[in-house]
Amino acid sequence: MTQATATTEIFAIEAIQTWMVNQIATQLSIPAANIKVSEPLTRYGLDSIDSVTIVGDLEDWLGEDLPSTLLWDYPTIAKAASYLVEEIGVSPAAEAA
Amino acid sequence: MHPLKHYWVAEALERDLGDPLNPDSMMSFKQVVDLDEKEEFPHDIVNWLYNWNLHHHYIPAECGGEFTNFEEFVAFVRVLSRRDLTAGIAFTTMFWSFLVWMAGTDEQKRRLASFMKDQHGAMCLSYSEKAHGSDLLGGDVTATQVPGGYLLNGEKWPINRATISGVTFVLARTDDAGGARSLSLFMVEKSKLDEKTYTHLPKILTHGIRGSDMSGIRFEDAFVAEDARLGAEGAGLELALKGFQITRALCAAFSQGAADTALRTTLKFAMKRKLYGKTVFDMPQPRRVLTDAFLDVLIGDCATIGAARGFSVAPEQFSVWSAVVKYFVTVKLEAMVTDVSAVLGARFYMREEFEFGIFQKTLRDVAIISMFDGSTVVNLHALLLQMRQLAKYRARNKERNPEVLNARLETSFGLDKPLPPFDGRKLELVSRGADDVLQGLPLALTQLASLKADKSLTPEVLHQVTTFTEMIQAELDSLDAHVTASSFEYGHDQSPESFEMAKQYCTLHTAAACVHMWLYNRHHLGDFFAKGEWLALSLRRLMLTFRREKDLPPRLDDAAIAQELIRLYSEDRMFSIVPFQLAPAQPETASEPSQTLQLQAK
Repeated sequence: MTQATATTEIFAIEAIQTWMVNQIATQLSIPAANIKVSEPLTRYGLDSIDSVTIVGDLEDWLGEDLPSTLLWDYPTIAKAASYLVEEIGVSPAAEAA
Repeated sequence: MHPLKHYWVAEALERDLGDPLNPDSMMSFKQVVDLDEKEEFPHDIVNWLYNWNLHHHYIPAECGGEFTNFEEFVAFVRVLSRRDLTAGIAFTTMFWSFLVWMAGTDEQKRRLASFMKDQHGAMCLSYSEKAHGSDLLGGDVTATQVPGGYLLNGEKWPINRATISGVTFVLARTDDAGGARSLSLFMVEKSKLDEKTYTHLPKILTHGIRGSDMSGIRFEDAFVAEDARLGAEGAGLELALKGFQITRALCAAFSQGAADTALRTTLKFAMKRKLYGKTVFDMPQPRRVLTDAFLDVLIGDCATIGAARGFSVAPEQFSVWSAVVKYFVTVKLEAMVTDVSAVLGARFYMREEFEFGIFQKTLRDVAIISMFDGSTVVNLHALLLQMRQLAKYRARNKERNPEVLNARLETSFGLDKPLPPFDGRKLELVSRGADDVLQGLPLALTQLASLKADKSLTPEVLHQVTTFTEMIQAELDSLDAHVTASSFEYGHDQSPESFEMAKQYCTLHTAAACVHMWLYNRHHLGDFFAKGEWLALSLRRLMLTFRREKDLPPRLDDAAIAQELIRLYSEDRMFSIVPFQLAPAQPETASEPSQTLQLQAK
């Protein structure tokens, strides 16, 4: 992997993490600062089906079909964002532009 | 034979079971009421159904069976359920085999098909636990990995057919960390268990379906081999939720069969019973109750049959369709049975008098259907979580790809159209906002506009159907706006108002299903169906949920509805948009007044 690719991926992961933190903070009406990307989302009161619906919002933002069980298999924001970028090759910068 | 071949199995089953009023028939009202009184499991009936090879219709062709599609399935389950919900449900626990058809390996499919066909085996679903009810992730039953397999521990209760079954599908925790991937699903073949490691729990006495084997099962270090697991470890919740999408929609067929008997029995009484010099049916109020009940059956039909076919067309949307049908049809038909009980008067409560006391049994039995496979609250919850996405999708996709949508709707609702095979692997946990039925409203309005030149239609009927369809669209737009503006609710703290919105969604989806059903079948389901008075009256009935009576177009004369109700009754046909042939009723005995004269008088 070139350094440029690695940097692009880091930016992509950060962009997804930021979007998810803000989205969940808005939905749950809690400050974004209270959401840690390394915590399982269930910690914030979201249950298994809520997390499936959050994937729907993520799909809308990225414009891509994602596995609806994404947050079951990758239950933290950090794990989900890494998976999306490193395994699926999602590039939010282009989508969100 | 019926022109629609999906009804052949149901008609043949009817013919061979015979008139339920004849005590000598298999599944006669006398037999099933007697069994209910004794709270006995209907072994003879179940054996008869196996010998008839009905179980072959629960097994897909690729696994050696004769299952074609769920439209055919719904029709024959109605035949069973109009006679006896206890036996109908006991036999139909075999629909849990779809978990294996959907997620099993070839070897697991072969084993289960052989168990069903060669051993006349049945299965049950061990999900719920005494302390946890619908909270599947909260379950205490564990499957601990050991060399070559797992050890099961814990208790499942209440489970229909827990004792009288050879296979049980057990949802058990395989990961103590918890979470959505903590459960796995096992096809437990009791014949392979060490007998000392499991116990059946005592029969639970119930209000209705009293002959059912409602019991439970307890495991104590019960070893199951690795090849008992369905799908991957951790896939249990996902498979359970997808399996429910199949069985929840099919539960509507139980209610529809029971509703037929409640209506048929009451109608017979109303036509024979004379008070104040006329029959009960000739009095406007009870007559209205019965025609409205018939409309409820037709409304339910449009939703149930549409969904039964839709499984083969839009399986990825069934997290929505199935929740709608399970909630709406079972709850409305349960209410309908209660409505008609008023016409039957005191006899509704009697356990021997009038038709062997079948009405009171039906009334008790039907009350459990809305609870099966996820209660009303569970279904509405599954739906309300998706409503934001549904609203967003509709806003974004308005008028997009109308040809593709029209083709899908035509296949789902056009009963004369061939269906692609059902593929359970295409079920999805959420529908990603898609719901063809409500999404298709603008298309329906375009089609209605094009019918203005159709001379076979009464202008007032078409006008009303169009007006009501516009109302459905307007109410949907208003609901979407409301959902979009409301705050995100999560966990299990959703407001009562959200549940009400989910109910409204179900009503709108069902109303739209009625419109599609009519539009795609006007030319082959007979005059009564084609003329559409039933549709205008049904839509009016549904719109009363949203609007005041005086704000709706006036109620059309329902003489045609009453006439059709009596025609289907006198010709022994199912009360349905597809009134297939039932077993002919025996001629009345001399002690009872003839109904022929009264039928001619209508």
